[in-house]
Amino acid sequence: MSSLRQVQFLLGKDLRIELRKKESLVSMAFFGALILVMLNIASGIGKQVAAENGAGILWVAIIFSSVLGLGRVFAREKENGCVAALLISPISAGEIYAAKALVNFTLMCLSELVLVPVFYVLFGAQLSFAPLSLLPILLLVNLGFSTTGTLISAISAGTRRNEVLLPILLFPLILPLTVLAVKATTAALAAKPFAIVLEQLEPMAAFCIIFTTAGYLLFPFAIRED
Amino acid sequence: MLALNRSTLFSGFAAVMIPAAIGMVFFYAPLEKTMGSVQKIFYFHLPLALTAFLSFFVACISGIMYLRRRQRIWDARLAASVEIGVVLTTLVLITGSLWGRPIWNTWWTWDPRLTTSLILWFIFASCLILRSAIDEEGKRATFSAVLAIVGFLDVPIVFLSARLFRSIHPTVIRADSVGLESSMLLTLLVCMAAMLIFWAGLYKFRVSLYLQEAKVNDLQIDGTS
Amino acid sequence: MSENSPFLSISGLCKSYGSRVALRGIDLDLQRGEFLCLFGPNGAGKSTLLKIIATLLRPNAGQVRVQGYDLKEQPEQYRSRLGMVSHQSFVYQDLTVLENLEFYAALYGVEQPRQRALQLLEQVNLADRYDMPAANLSRGMQQRLTIARALVNDPALLLLDEPYTGLDEHAASVLREQLQILHDRKRTIIMVTHNLRRGMESATRLGILARGKLVYLQQKEAVDPSTFEQLYFRHLEAL
Repeated sequence: MSSLRQVQFLLGKDLRIELRKKESLVSMAFFGALILVMLNIASGIGKQVAAENGAGILWVAIIFSSVLGLGRVFAREKENGCVAALLISPISAGEIYAAKALVNFTLMCLSELVLVPVFYVLFGAQLSFAPLSLLPILLLVNLGFSTTGTLISAISAGTRRNEVLLPILLFPLILPLTVLAVKATTAALAAKPFAIVLEQLEPMAAFCIIFTTAGYLLFPFAIRED
Repeated sequence: MLALNRSTLFSGFAAVMIPAAIGMVFFYAPLEKTMGSVQKIFYFHLPLALTAFLSFFVACISGIMYLRRRQRIWDARLAASVEIGVVLTTLVLITGSLWGRPIWNTWWTWDPRLTTSLILWFIFASCLILRSAIDEEGKRATFSAVLAIVGFLDVPIVFLSARLFRSIHPTVIRADSVGLESSMLLTLLVCMAAMLIFWAGLYKFRVSLYLQEAKVNDLQIDGTS
Repeated sequence: MSENSPFLSISGLCKSYGSRVALRGIDLDLQRGEFLCLFGPNGAGKSTLLKIIATLLRPNAGQVRVQGYDLKEQPEQYRSRLGMVSHQSFVYQDLTVLENLEFYAALYGVEQPRQRALQLLEQVNLADRYDMPAANLSRGMQQRLTIARALVNDPALLLLDEPYTGLDEHAASVLREQLQILHDRKRTIIMVTHNLRRGMESATRLGILARGKLVYLQQKEAVDPSTFEQLYFRHLEAL
């Protein structure tokens, strides 16, 4: 039995539930769009935002909305003790981690399909549309956010204050990733050459590698009872 | 008993060293030419930063050791160093702001060192919040160990990501030379030693206090069952 | 491996949470096909023992060997032949009955997950509800689904933690029936409960766990059912 197939079963199960209930995705996209509208009003009606501010606004909306989906992933497993069922099945903790991180990654990508267009509609008049520069930034943040987030949400789901603790524990850890993403996005929105974006992409990739590895190694401790 | 003796020793030593260090700062170290008396805060700022970083390093090591050994003493060490580290980082940020206001004309700037300190403060303060949210001892220890390890891993990345900001922070200790006059350097070293001893005493006290709390808890549980 | 070596061998097992000791040195050998029922009051360490055997918890000392292997050596292989029924249902509320079983069957690497799932639904009389979301099932049906779920990989070792608690008559009879089938097929079963009557019904070996120690262990033929209750309380009072 290859571990890849087991990851696939677990991922398939989660996505099937999500497709049926649509609870995470709808709330993520809805909340993200809501933040974008609020920030649009807050930045002054009828005013154009510069690339720098625009980048910040986009990432605030994406990161705050993604926490909603992240919180659900383990809450659902905890409902009937299903985590224990997974832990006594032949699937290893590392495979559970991979599957859950992939679920989060998928959810983030799907919600961004809504949020990025909404962002351009609201703020895009003066900003350059650079899908080729934006895409790698989005993917790297999604990766870093979902791997770090999966580890932290396993921890917060183990406490009695899941929803409150998750952002409190997660945001400080992903602050460097956010800072880099904002800088890279600023360059992309200001139509700078890709080389400038790439400068930020390298440390972002380093963040993803370090936290994916750390998450994979530490996840068994976060998910097990003892 | 040995731990108690040692913590008394450390704190007794610190009680002598810290006044001596303060005396040296004000009466021995010369006045800095451009910054004047404001610069004297530096003798506390740097040792505070050093011990704060040391705390988080100890927390990370304790976390790793706890996950390997599952012994209460490592959780006590982690808890003690995270708590002390958060307090010291708070002091680093405050002294830094006080120093920066007259010199840089701003309370705050996004310099790599400042950013790193601030993010570290957030990470380890969140670790304290996490600890307060869990009642079961084993779970609390495991979760905070995981968080302390990931938190410390974040340090180089934070520093790297903040590196691209323009820096106005002075670099005192360079690879080739020390940018300080010898009497200033001596004062700094004494301050550093005083702070380290103070740290050790505080740490020992906090660890033994934590262990005693846990023992009292055990007695309560045994009494009710 | 010789014929006589035990299927499951536990030695010197200790577990404590902080300073609270749950198990103080458990030694136990089980042959393949035995059905052990462990009785004990709340807090005796029954659930902790089962969780350690299920690899959910790690012991502080001692070891568990299954078919000669230490549990720590090949946990994945061991877990693929392990089944467990606990107080929690281990069922996903948002999936249908069939999807739940199919998912677990696939996770355990069962050859034809759907066929296996349908077959199990027949066995627990849930075949007509296969398309219902698990959340909409009545409590009794949920419990039958839980039993089916535990059997999805045809376990060589089945662990049952208070399985009769809260079961309705139908679910209880289904459980008894399934346990009998497994027992006839030489599967090893460990059940912990504080319900003496239910436990006596199908077990081949009886044990009493109190204050983290195995204070009594005997083949069922050697036990007089009518006096077992007195025996049980005598052992608890002795502590």
